[in-house]
Amino acid sequence: MPAGRPGPAAQSARRPPPLLPLLLLCVLGAPQAGSGADTAVISPQDPTLLIGSSLQATCSVHGDPPGATAEGLYWTLNGHRLPPELSRMLNASTLALALANLNGSRQQSGDNLMCHARDGSILAGSCLYVGLPPEKPFNISCWSKNMKDLTCRWTPGAHGETFLHTNYSLKYKLRWYGQDNTCEEYHTVGPHSCHIPKDLALFTPYEIWVEATNRLGSARSDVLTLDILDVVTTDPPPEVHVSRVGGLEDQLSVRWVSPPALKDFLFQAKYQIRYRVEDSVDWKVVDDVSNQTSCRLAGLKPGTVYFVQVRCNPFGIYGSKKAGIWSEWSHPTAASTPRSERPGPGGGACEPRGGEPSSGPVRRELKQFLGWLKKHAYCSNLSFRLYDQWRAWMQKSHKTRNQHRTRGSCPRADGARREVLPDKL
Amino acid sequence: MSRREGNLEDPQADSSISPLPHLESKIQQTHSLARLLTKYAEQLLQEYVQHQGDPFGLPGFSPPRLPVADLSAPAPGHAGLPVPERLRLDEAALAALPPLLDVVRRRQAELNPRALRLLRRLEDAARQARALGAAVEAVLAALGAETRGPRPEPAAAAIAAATVTAGVFPAKVLGLRVCGLYREWVSRTEADLGQLAPGGPA
Repeated sequence: MPAGRPGPAAQSARRPPPLLPLLLLCVLGAPQAGSGADTAVISPQDPTLLIGSSLQATCSVHGDPPGATAEGLYWTLNGHRLPPELSRMLNASTLALALANLNGSRQQSGDNLMCHARDGSILAGSCLYVGLPPEKPFNISCWSKNMKDLTCRWTPGAHGETFLHTNYSLKYKLRWYGQDNTCEEYHTVGPHSCHIPKDLALFTPYEIWVEATNRLGSARSDVLTLDILDVVTTDPPPEVHVSRVGGLEDQLSVRWVSPPALKDFLFQAKYQIRYRVEDSVDWKVVDDVSNQTSCRLAGLKPGTVYFVQVRCNPFGIYGSKKAGIWSEWSHPTAASTPRSERPGPGGGACEPRGGEPSSGPVRRELKQFLGWLKKHAYCSNLSFRLYDQWRAWMQKSHKTRNQHRTRGSCPRADGARREVLPDKL
Repeated sequence: MSRREGNLEDPQADSSISPLPHLESKIQQTHSLARLLTKYAEQLLQEYVQHQGDPFGLPGFSPPRLPVADLSAPAPGHAGLPVPERLRLDEAALAALPPLLDVVRRRQAELNPRALRLLRRLEDAARQARALGAAVEAVLAALGAETRGPRPEPAAAAIAAATVTAGVFPAKVLGLRVCGLYREWVSRTEADLGQLAPGGPA
């Protein structure tokens, strides 16, 4: 190979440049005058080592130009010059290096160990791979969206830090027959995940496992056995609507639609609702919403904006006995409760006089009873009907009392008692 | 059709239709493309050195300037050549770059498999070099200048096989060299087209 190969400009003698696999020549260390290129070789080339182990390396000069020796050579690792006491000349043309207790590689492409001439030019290089073999991946979890696919996630062993590129491969097969298959779509829901988009069988269990491999070894997870029907999830319920319940200031009505993809199968679906006040981060969860598509929230603050979300668990599909997997929450839907019409404490409310039944034990007991109903039967239409009637009656009776006050009188105790008790109680 | 519009069957029959605006537009477009690719080439180089680790990318890092098959850096005398000759050399270099960039990408896919942005940039660079080379060739043809004509296919397979067996360090150095050459040649092309673009010295 000619030294100082001319550039294209000099080749304007209209002759196509000779086609040489010069990369091959470069790799074999063809010398080039003045550049120091490949005039030495480091051994070992690209070794793989365990963290904490030692390395003995040598840099041997080729003797080009003639008379070249190892005198004055030095080492760098990732650009840092290594202390001279770590090196020694083995002979006139070879400089040795001893590194102990190696740390994990700084980059996955390998640490750059270089041998330099006295003038600093790079004579040769080798990349060190220092790390750990993979540990067993664990905690595999999988779910199927609408029975059409399967996505699995896992945790790498040793928290994933092997300092070496570690390849994870998700494998699966039908339990009693079939060949091993390898998942191909990785990193779909995070770095350690894979998606199998199609050709999945129902009613027959799969065996799923993860194999981890790097330069220092391999490891295999435990096998997870599952039936697709036991790990089904679906889309969030669409068309979530939140609205007021007439003038009731502490209630909102929530309605939604079954997720369409599975609506013909959701005989036993469960739903969950969560809601929060507009400027709060704390969600309250309504858990016991069974196979219904509406619910009423009660005990809310009047005149307050609430955000509401709903999610679905399609358990019981095709008779599956497993718990099922919750969908994502629906997009938040907001609505506000009506403002309270009752005047505040300092607003001239008619405070009950001593002995008046409005502060009496009957009213207190009624309130307690309805409070209990509210707490234990969020979605019981019957109790809400009763409660609604009572509340509406209470609000009406408050207005009436205020009107009497305006006229300059308060209801007599007996009359008040009668007014407090709604007919249907 | 009016005389003003000319004769569609013989575009040269009416000299009132000048090909110059089309040529100028073509040159300007190609110049803009070269300017954009110069920026991308710089980004590619930065991304590349990041993934190879220190001292790649450190100031003063001077690896062996290994020659690369079929391609060298623009010669010192390049700027003194006539513009068509410079563009011919630019076009030849841009044609030589894609297979080299492909080789680098394949090797980096083994060394840095998670460096998705780097791998994407290398793939894009090969496509962009082809596109710019074709655009320069079109400009040369429009100028009536000779292009280089068919050239032998680079020995991509041999180059690829060689880099697979080569050590990691030489492969890193090779990649740096190729990315550097890519940047030099698109930058050179931008400057050469700038000589022809409206408002340029030519």
